Amino acid sequence: MDKDNANPTILNVSELPTRQNKKKAVTPGKVTELDLGIVLRRPEYLSAPFCDVPWASDDTDSDDGFTIEPIDEQEIYDLISTISDPEHPLSLGQLAVVNLPDIHITPSPSAAADPNTLTQVLVKITPTITHCSLATVIGLGIRVRLEQALPPNYRVDVMIKEGTHSQDDQVNKQLADKERVAAALENATLKGVLDKMLETCV
Amino acid sequence: MSSHEPPTPVRLVPLPPFKPDLYERAWQSVPHPTLPLLATTHQKSVTVFSLSTLSAHSSLTNGHERSVRSATWQPNLPPHKLCLITGSFDSSAGLWRWEDEGQGGGDSLEVEMTGGAKEDSEEKDWELIVVLEGHDSEIKSVAFSPSGQYVATCSRDKSVWIWEDVGASEDDEWETIAVLSEHDGDVKSVAWCPDTNRSGRGRYSSDVLASASYDDTVRIWREDEDGEWACVAVLEGHKGTVWGVQWEPKPKTDRFPRLLTWSADRTVRIWTLKEEEDEPEGTARHTFGRLGGIPNTMRRSLKEEWNCTAILPTAHTRDIYSATWSPATGRVASTGSDGVIAIYGEESVDANGAGGATTEDEATAELDGDVLMSNGHSENKPEASKQWKLLSTTPNAHGPYEINHVTWCKRYDTGCAPEKRGIEEMLVTTGDDGIVRPWQIS
Repeated sequence: MDKDNANPTILNVSELPTRQNKKKAVTPGKVTELDLGIVLRRPEYLSAPFCDVPWASDDTDSDDGFTIEPIDEQEIYDLISTISDPEHPLSLGQLAVVNLPDIHITPSPSAAADPNTLTQVLVKITPTITHCSLATVIGLGIRVRLEQALPPNYRVDVMIKEGTHSQDDQVNKQLADKERVAAALENATLKGVLDKMLETCV
Repeated sequence: MSSHEPPTPVRLVPLPPFKPDLYERAWQSVPHPTLPLLATTHQKSVTVFSLSTLSAHSSLTNGHERSVRSATWQPNLPPHKLCLITGSFDSSAGLWRWEDEGQGGGDSLEVEMTGGAKEDSEEKDWELIVVLEGHDSEIKSVAFSPSGQYVATCSRDKSVWIWEDVGASEDDEWETIAVLSEHDGDVKSVAWCPDTNRSGRGRYSSDVLASASYDDTVRIWREDEDGEWACVAVLEGHKGTVWGVQWEPKPKTDRFPRLLTWSADRTVRIWTLKEEEDEPEGTARHTFGRLGGIPNTMRRSLKEEWNCTAILPTAHTRDIYSATWSPATGRVASTGSDGVIAIYGEESVDANGAGGATTEDEATAELDGDVLMSNGHSENKPEASKQWKLLSTTPNAHGPYEINHVTWCKRYDTGCAPEKRGIEEMLVTTGDDGIVRPWQIS
């Protein structure tokens, strides 16, 4: 099958936004390069559960952490930038399909939040070319990844970044449709593609 | 409840949820039209709960390869017989029957429902009789017509199918009598107009079907004298997927039932048929080119004019997945992705204000061009003296989870005074958390 975009622009892994001392288990095989090019958005003591914190033991890092530390944009980025592109052997972060400035959390992360308070995570994705037919699949992968990883009070909205895709309204509407997303996950072929994309996430 | 009472504060009190917890997303809970039963669709099955014991009565399993999205009870059966049709993401609809053969008499089912579920009656008594096949993709909604003569199904394949049992009384020989393909997107929901002893209208029979779609519209369908089903109206105004549609269960006057629709645009709307006797002569607005040669009198009967006559007060911040219109009180409840349950009532407006004042929401709608600039003037006079008010909102009704469905339902549980059983209403909500929760209204 011909790829929609045979020559995408690829970012060096070391240029991707991350935190210092990123936990090695998050992106096996790539983590060794991640210590360079740090974007330090918050002091380390506030960093989210996927990072090493001295007082948290290694096996209680994910689920237990949600109620302790607020989830910020960097953590959302970490969850989805490692998803593999469905047609290139590269991650969505490397292809700049997902970008840290295009992730928005409302209301802003705060440690005091009630676990019942709805929190919107809006991810605007940038398909590699304007007619990329896989934009829907990529968006679906991001929505599924975040819905699996985030607590139930999070509402995940994935949209195509304005002006980057020729059919963005249509794709946005599909990605926002709970019933379509649920049905898509019961489609064995599509589920196979999604599972493969998410294999590179830990 | 009289609509002349002042706005009453309304409070929702959670009752203990139905047992067992389903532990996974449940889509919809449909009360039986007359018996104390509730059918909840979840994953590939349906759990039938008893409204008397608030616990499982039976379940329908192994009939579908993918999730069951919707279910509908066949009306007008004797009390020892049950029939459900299920609509599934596997593109098929299943017709299931449950018969209390062992005990023959019509009262045994009643005994079982009031006395608690018997272990030996579980599961084995539901039998998948017929699979209705034909849709190309997921079935989103199924609905029996009020007489039980027809079933409507709708799908992501953009079509609505109408099926009829043409077999002898007990034979279940179902045929497709119409495939309606005018929607431009997934058809999310179908609803039959309740039987209110109406006669047919013009050249149409009395059955009326409404469908709501991903194409942001609602369509109304009728059967003409030749047995052909045709779209008689397209209701435009919603600015997102219309998740569902319900008819007014019991109109107070002899006017035609109104329609309730709810949408991803976070609004709940009410639509009213412009009744024929109000229609001015020479209806120039009917501009159907291909019918140019047909006299006006006949042209008028081909299409109906439906207008959005109210947008309910804003109560939701995300998609509205479900709303329900009470036959007893006329109140509407809505819920959705934000986990809020909102209740609205239609209240009389002070006589002084009825002449010119419109509600803020109606005014907004007028600015948007959604509603005719006619409220308070001649043609919608009956509605002009009523306003929809938000009576209560209950946030986090299922904790942090989304709520997929809400329905009014009669109470039969022991928490309800015996003389009020089968009369008093409650709400039942169905959530992504697998909880089916009854709510007392106080």
